[in-house]
Amino acid sequence: MRLSGKIALVTGGRGGIGRAICDRFMREGATVYAADLSEGGSLAAPGGASRFVQLDVADEDTVKGVMQQVSDEAGHLDILVNAAGIEIEKTIEDTTLEEWNRSFAVNVTGTFLTSKHALPLMRTAAGQGQSASLINFGSYDGFIADPGLAAYCATKGAVHALTRAMACDHGPEGIRVNAICPGYIDTPMLQSFFEGDGSGGGGKTIDQLQQAVRDVHPMRTYGTPDDIANLVTWLASDEARYASGQLWVLDGGLSAQVQQMKL
Amino acid sequence: MRLEGKTALITGGRQGIGRGIVDAFLSEGARVTSCGRGPRPEGLPEACHWEQADVSDPAQASALASACPSLDILVNNAGVQVEKTVVDSTDADWEAVIGVNCRGVFNMCRALIPHMATQGVIINIGSISGRHADPSMALYNASKAFVHGLTRSIAVDHGPDIRCNAICPGWINTGMLDAGFDLANDPAAARRDAITRHPVRRFGEAADVAAVAVFLASDEAAFANGQMFTVDGGMTAASPLNPGLF
Repeated sequence: MRLSGKIALVTGGRGGIGRAICDRFMREGATVYAADLSEGGSLAAPGGASRFVQLDVADEDTVKGVMQQVSDEAGHLDILVNAAGIEIEKTIEDTTLEEWNRSFAVNVTGTFLTSKHALPLMRTAAGQGQSASLINFGSYDGFIADPGLAAYCATKGAVHALTRAMACDHGPEGIRVNAICPGYIDTPMLQSFFEGDGSGGGGKTIDQLQQAVRDVHPMRTYGTPDDIANLVTWLASDEARYASGQLWVLDGGLSAQVQQMKL
Repeated sequence: MRLEGKTALITGGRQGIGRGIVDAFLSEGARVTSCGRGPRPEGLPEACHWEQADVSDPAQASALASACPSLDILVNNAGVQVEKTVVDSTDADWEAVIGVNCRGVFNMCRALIPHMATQGVIINIGSISGRHADPSMALYNASKAFVHGLTRSIAVDHGPDIRCNAICPGWINTGMLDAGFDLANDPAAARRDAITRHPVRRFGEAADVAAVAVFLASDEAAFANGQMFTVDGGMTAASPLNPGLF
């Protein structure tokens, strides 16, 4: 087991990708705090050491409370995964200030707050001879834009820059900081994107839309939450002890193309 | 005029982007020499001097350097493309693409740098294809990534004396672009599809690339060094999903 004895906290831990990460971490021997707004299902923890914790990443008091709980119960934190995120499917003209602020509150401020208050616990973990691993969620949308996702693209670009900055600042303390940049992953968020207002314009059914999206990927499919969990597990493990400050794109080759022209 | 009194050598100025740069540099007051494998092309402006030379041959590159003493601006534009995958590419394809696009740029830089004026400028023509892959353009894509790497190396190694940058054009209206569309099942439909992938809703013109070259060659760009400047109408800022899909 690759994460044996490690203490991990995963924000957005009951969402599509977060849930897969929690399940995988537990199978690899970690004790997992699955943090999310609501429980939304049983964690089914083997050994009973893992638990759900209620957390709004945008609210500093609840973030502090959760970190205090981890401190009281475990004394340190080896792995923090900032997977909580929301997506507003609009151009900037259609985005309200409230939606813009909410996007940044969850995707950027949330990453800031959980990292800020987890760092003392991670420093403690790193002091015990192993590196601690902090994993943010960027997106391939932080590099290239999907239409009608302006605020989301901007938040992910911010996460990419924050990832590099944190890697510089906290590397000397033994804390590795990386970001995963998923492409199209089969999650409730993606299904919501397919069903969103923008999809009606092309007159396509959701099935047609899904197939068209698969076809534009060099691998001819989009990814699963388990694909993401595989990479997160590696970055969290000691095998990745020299990996830091990088943005790890996992998108089935989508962004390796210039454009896939219809020739 | 922004290049008044400067001397410039632009490889591959017969047509396309190279010719656009020749025209722009002349109108900005530069004294321009261009070169190519053939004799002086018809229609080349009188003011442009022409040398017949193959940049992929080190001896011919050295001869060009002798013909251009104390050069201010070198534009490595000459390039060829072969539309094939790795498996389909022949040794002759390798010689053609790597010979001109990689070795040609190397030959010219090696021959010219020791003899360039202080505050010399090198502009290499890279490509968006050096950063992301166009399908069935394997050697071309790789050759342009080489150009990007060499650009950074020259900028670092010869920094105080020479500024070296690359321009990464997207889809520019040239014979090379036409050749690509001619391979399509329905060239007209392929063109329409390609244009909708450009946020500016048109392909580039040689003059669009030349405008960036003029800036990089001028003293306005005195602090620009070692960078790749993409000019593609916004195409590579967008994800490769089908336009109109959502």
